[in-house]
Formats: sequence, structure tokens, C-alpha cells
Amino acid sequence: MRLRNRAKTDRVLPVEITPMIDVVFLLIIFFMTTAQFARMTRAEVELPREPGEQQRAEEAGLVINIQRDGQIIVNEQAVTLAELVGLVDAERARTGGGSAMKLLLRADRQANAARLNEVVIHLQQLGIHTARVATEVP
Amino acid sequence: MNLHGRNVQSGPRARRLDRITLNLASMIDVTFLILIYFLVTTVLIQPEDRLSPALQTRQAGAAVSDFQPQVVEVFDHEGQPAYRIGERIMRERAELIATLAALPKGEGIFINVSDAVPVGFAVAAMQEARNAGFEQVTYVPQQ
Repeated sequence: MRLRNRAKTDRVLPVEITPMIDVVFLLIIFFMTTAQFARMTRAEVELPREPGEQQRAEEAGLVINIQRDGQIIVNEQAVTLAELVGLVDAERARTGGGSAMKLLLRADRQANAARLNEVVIHLQQLGIHTARVATEVP
Repeated sequence: MNLHGRNVQSGPRARRLDRITLNLASMIDVTFLILIYFLVTTVLIQPEDRLSPALQTRQAGAAVSDFQPQVVEVFDHEGQPAYRIGERIMRERAELIATLAALPKGEGIFINVSDAVPVGFAVAAMQEARNAGFEQVTYVPQQ
């Protein structure tokens, strides 16, 4: 009886942690890549501090950033209104338009509404009747 | 002694010494990296939400219907942003909340935004319209 117990304690349990480290590294790479992508589409703007609609987050689609000085940023690039119209048109062609097209307007809370108004007028002229306005959850 | 200078023993004691030791250093490294990553990103990326107004220009709005819509004007009043519903001008957000609460909700509401006001005031009006229970909130830029 005593010998049997001793034999149990001598048994070696091989724990292979290499796959776990592989998985952890993959997760790190995934999160870093997605965070980088989020940073690419979202320029640094001070969003209006509002709770928003508090609904489930949806895919962002085309993100239009309007900075305090009125500059429009899309995918880290400063664009003119004419270029923005081209980008929105391309997005509409890609998604098929309608409700499948998701536009996110990220406007600085201190910026004059003039630029946002111009963007909305141009979206209207393109036949886009809804967009989402980003807020920063207080 | 073996080649590494260790004592070589035989029997059950030697078997116990030969157990595989788990080297956790790499896992701890990875765990700390993840911890640092999440700490940094938590600070940098603020949580965001969104409002989904309909977009309408004044001409398009006139063409759609003949009824007199409820309109909140966000405009510059004597150098300060203010809200106007009908003839009533409100400087404080609390006044806007009280006025919106008293309005009928069925027809929806238009938020008519002047070029001169900060975006924050326009978004605040949309937020309060949503909070008051308006299903249809329409952003109308000044033209």
C-alpha cells in the first residue's frame, strides 16, 4: 500500500505550455492590429460628451472625422469636400447603398457646425438620408 | 558525479529529482505584456457611442410633407449658442429638456443647426430629443 502511494507521487505530469504561448502571442497580434486599425480610422477629435443611444455597437463603415479647425480626415488623410464626395460614392458602390451603408460622423464638439452642415448637405445630395454621429460616453 | 558536476543517484530519489520543471518565465513575460497593452489602450481609447439622426436639407423637408414640423433651432443668440422652439429662446439645457418633455412626440422633431454654433450644442439638442422620447430626430443644416 505504501509503495503504491509513492509510485503515484513519482508520476510526472508533462504540461506543454508552448501552444498556449503561441495562442497568447496570436491574441496580442490580433488586438494590436485591430487597435491600430481603430487608430487609423479615428482621428483625434474631442467628441461631444453625450451618452448616445446606448445600443449595441455596430460596424463603423466609413468614418468621417471633422477636426476643430474644420479639416476633414478620412483614413488618416485630410480630404476636401469634393474628395469626400468621391469616397462616399465609392463606399456606396461597395456596400450597395441603403441601410447596408454605414457612415459615422466624428465631429469635434468645439468645431463650428458649418463644416458638419456642409458634409450633411453633400451627403443629402448623394441620396444618403441617415448617418450616425459619434459621441464620447461621459 | 556526471558530466555537469551533479551527483548521480539511482533509485526512487533520483526519479523524483528528474521531474520536469515548468519554466513559467515566458508566460509571465507574456502576461505582463498583455497587462501593459490593456492598461495603455484603456487610457487612450475613450468609449464611444452614437446618435442616429435622419439627415435632411430644408428643400427636401419641404417637399416631403406639408405639416408644420416641430423644430428646435440651434443658433447664435447675441454671441452665445442658444436653443429656440417657436418663440421661446433657451440658453440653458435644463430649459430645453423641460420644453421638449412637454411637446407631443408623434411627429418627430427637426434639429435646425446654424453654421455659427459649436457641434457640441447641436449634438446636445439631438441627445435631449432622444431622451425626451422622440423616435424620429432629423438633423437639418442651415442653408
